[in-house]
Amino acid sequence: MMVDSSMTETAKVSPRAGPSYAGWIGKLVASPLYAATIGLIANSHKTRLVLLLAIPLVWIVTLHIGPIYQMARISIMDNYPPAPGGPVYTLDNYRLFFQEPLYFMPFLRSIIFAVCVTATTLIVVYPVAYYVAKVVKPENRTRALLLLLTPFWAGELIRTFSVIMFLANRGAVNVFLREIGLIDRPIILLYNYFSLSFGVIYLISLFMLLPLYSAIEKIPSSLVDAAADLGAGPWQRFRRVILPLSKDGIISGCSLVYLTSIGVFAAPLLLGGPNSTIFPEIIASLFHGSSDKWPEGAAFSILMLAVSLSTVGLFMRVVGGRTVKLM
Amino acid sequence: MQPVVHFRNVNKSYGSSLAVDNLDLAIEPGQFVTLLGPSGCGKSTTLRMLGGFETPTSGEIFLDGQEISKLPPNKRNVNIVFQDYALFPHLNVRRNVAFGLELKGMASDAIHKRTMELLSLVKLTDFAERMPGQLSGGQRQRVALMRALAPNPNVLLLDEPLSALDAKLRQQMQIELKSIQKTTGKTFIFVTHDQEEALTMSDVVVVMNAGRIEQMGDPHTLYAKPRSRFVANFIGETNFIEGRLKAIDGGLAAIEWNGSVVHANLNGQSPSVGNTVAAALRPEAISVLSQKPSNTIAVSGRITQSIFKGDHTSLTISLNNGQSVVAQLDPVALSAVTGDDVWLTWRENDAVVLAD
Amino acid sequence: MRSYFSDFPKTALQASYWLFVIYLLLPLALMMAISFKDANFVAFPIDKWTLKWYAQVLQDKQFLEACLYSIFIAVMTTLFATIIGVWIALLISAEGIMARSVIFALACLPAVVPGLINAISLRIFIRVLDIPTGTGAIILGHTVHAVPFVVIMVLTRLRSMPNNLVDAARDLGADSFVAFMRVTLPYLVPALAGGMVFCVLTSIDDFVRTFFLGGYQTTLPMLIFAKVQGGMSPEINAMATLVLIVTAAIGLYAEHFTRRSRM
Ligand SMILES: Nc1ncnc2c1ncn2[C@@H]1O[C@H](COP(=O)(O)OP(=O)(O)O)[C@@H](O)[C@H]1O
Ligand SMILES: [Mg+2]
Repeated sequence: MMVDSSMTETAKVSPRAGPSYAGWIGKLVASPLYAATIGLIANSHKTRLVLLLAIPLVWIVTLHIGPIYQMARISIMDNYPPAPGGPVYTLDNYRLFFQEPLYFMPFLRSIIFAVCVTATTLIVVYPVAYYVAKVVKPENRTRALLLLLTPFWAGELIRTFSVIMFLANRGAVNVFLREIGLIDRPIILLYNYFSLSFGVIYLISLFMLLPLYSAIEKIPSSLVDAAADLGAGPWQRFRRVILPLSKDGIISGCSLVYLTSIGVFAAPLLLGGPNSTIFPEIIASLFHGSSDKWPEGAAFSILMLAVSLSTVGLFMRVVGGRTVKLM
Repeated sequence: MQPVVHFRNVNKSYGSSLAVDNLDLAIEPGQFVTLLGPSGCGKSTTLRMLGGFETPTSGEIFLDGQEISKLPPNKRNVNIVFQDYALFPHLNVRRNVAFGLELKGMASDAIHKRTMELLSLVKLTDFAERMPGQLSGGQRQRVALMRALAPNPNVLLLDEPLSALDAKLRQQMQIELKSIQKTTGKTFIFVTHDQEEALTMSDVVVVMNAGRIEQMGDPHTLYAKPRSRFVANFIGETNFIEGRLKAIDGGLAAIEWNGSVVHANLNGQSPSVGNTVAAALRPEAISVLSQKPSNTIAVSGRITQSIFKGDHTSLTISLNNGQSVVAQLDPVALSAVTGDDVWLTWRENDAVVLAD
Repeated sequence: MRSYFSDFPKTALQASYWLFVIYLLLPLALMMAISFKDANFVAFPIDKWTLKWYAQVLQDKQFLEACLYSIFIAVMTTLFATIIGVWIALLISAEGIMARSVIFALACLPAVVPGLINAISLRIFIRVLDIPTGTGAIILGHTVHAVPFVVIMVLTRLRSMPNNLVDAARDLGADSFVAFMRVTLPYLVPALAGGMVFCVLTSIDDFVRTFFLGGYQTTLPMLIFAKVQGGMSPEINAMATLVLIVTAAIGLYAEHFTRRSRM
């Protein structure tokens, strides 16, 4: 009988045709040390569950929720660090925001800026994503996509830097325009809303591209064929079939771009000018050095967080999406 | 002989629904046992409880006389062949088969020897270094089988292992499985919803329905003497004879069947005279005659449909008593066409009384 | 069958694609070109070419130290984020876990909070807990930011894993720990590789969290930021070009790797 383990006990040493086996695992598992430690955990349902739960829950509660909780707590203090005798809780920091145009004007600008950037990115990127997902032949698709992805492996600052060099007075655009004789004095492209939008879109269009691409790619061609068969023209096919079916991608892409563009920090510092100060700079300035404006900064951050998340929530409700895919 | 596997009053419920209902099942060692039943009747649940992947809600499971229902899967000497094979995609064929042996802490040489032996048993030695993704369905099936056999389990469990294969390969694997079971002498518990598969391979078939055992027995008994309407219907094609029980006479039931009186084997049942009973009659047990036989009971009818099936012809006959039956016609015996008037007769013991 | 998808004004789509590619690539390409310019000011046209900026960068102690420091932080971040991310993903995908979607949403929280707010909340958090700014704080911040992405990648992969595989390992005698190490973990390798590369690249690239949590030692983005604010020089271009080539190579390799192992 061939299938019998007793045979193997007397097995002659066979030529090892490069086999690698992990017989040591069995020995390890059988060892008393293992049985008393990992084995105990692995074989006890309860211990395992506790272990599975403990670390992730502690992590999430302390480090995902904790910082925001602390920020909220400090935002209602009159002073941080609190004066001796314990902190006094107050809503003054929030009141200050609404009383002082110096604060809420940049805030409004920030929101409007993020909305504009999101809309522009959607309009610019949609045809690109569509082209790669549906027009490019499947065998070339990876290459077409990689061409778009590669620039994003350069870091945020490097890309910002390249934009500065591109738009500067003696940068590529101005030099080119002068060479072909369109201008004789450089046009100011840098340190204003134009350069800021140009740069931010440059930084984050990937977040629009990927969700749109994967949503459009999933639309079966047969559906569009069917619509055409039923008499829909190109515009109608786009409007009534492709657009609704890529809705999930639009929602994900817009939410990600919006949330990222509202929180960009390095780009406005480098690309923005005195007239395009947006809210992140204001908030950051409140935390600089040992300034005691932390409670105000925290309150403004909470406001910004609340407004940005609720904008996304509202947008999702209006457009009718259910989930935001992060990738 | 002590049963190798014994389910004693085992229940398994998911929420309010009962997947396995008071199962009592003893399995003798060395047998090829098949759990047969429609999808959702609790076959997989039964098998998974034996494998250790589900805990019974109540009841006990014994393996070689030891109560095991609370043991984790790795502490039970049974192995499963999964329906989708569950081969480890990152290990080659050799390492897949060796997996259970490695966990036993065997020496490398011993592992290698046994692995190669097992692979040669199913002629897969040349494929030892392939990854599972590079194998055909039948080859994967064999690897899964050998992987489960490698640790030398007391009982091998197979959960619809052939359902992903095409018809031809499936028949071939049925024979191969049966012969491996014979060679190894192990107890196989095989799950399927395919009655033909069950009849082909098994020593014992356990017919399940809605979490309960309907009937258990060797294939021949199940086929010839189904106890319930469910079993009769599930295994093979059947005609049902329903009518009032007129008399019981020497182990035979006389049933009044729309005007005619026919006889059927009591089949261990004890119905009371005057009640309605049902009996099952296989199409191939019916003799189709062109003349009324002189010495036995016969019913007459007209052929309404005739379907050529290759080795036989299936006839649908509309009886004069208003019923319709299906019979098989051996092509050499009689040539009959639609519209012919015929007489039907059968040996009294070929019709069997059912419990319900 | 001819697809009506191609009926759309194809040329217009193609043009939009190529214009977008140019938009993405041209600034970087020109930036790289200037790194070879033999002059002290950063402007076009380029008359004379040189490699001297590269020689200078490679001898720049500050740059090399920043590189090492950033790499160290990235490696630590990757290590922690991978372990914790996998752990959280396992919890979320475990059987019979209550409030699964709540845990998932909270696990993803740092990824949807705008970067600046995330950085500020962490700054406040470490001050409340009296953790000093510096290396530890940076690693903590980067890890918090990276964990959600690891969770998502691992969960996606786990979802595609046949649920029988672990059962099969258990059946063959593995306890739950061995089954995890020998079956689940190897199955997760592509997701882990992708997640790790993501962690490394985002950590090396991160500016805002480092800005708020960092101490005196400069990371690579901080150095580039300081240099850019301090004034233009082709040396920055050379520095940026070197970094870009390395990170793009890592990214491309990871892309290639995950694509291959997906088959
Ligand atoms: N994990 C589960 N949760 C809830 N119900 C289940 C579960 N597993 C099986 N069931 C139910 O138990 C019954 C029996 O299932 P199963 O044993 O898989 O049937 P079979 O293998 O005979 O097709 C079915 O009604 C099925 O819906
Ligand atoms: Mg089943």
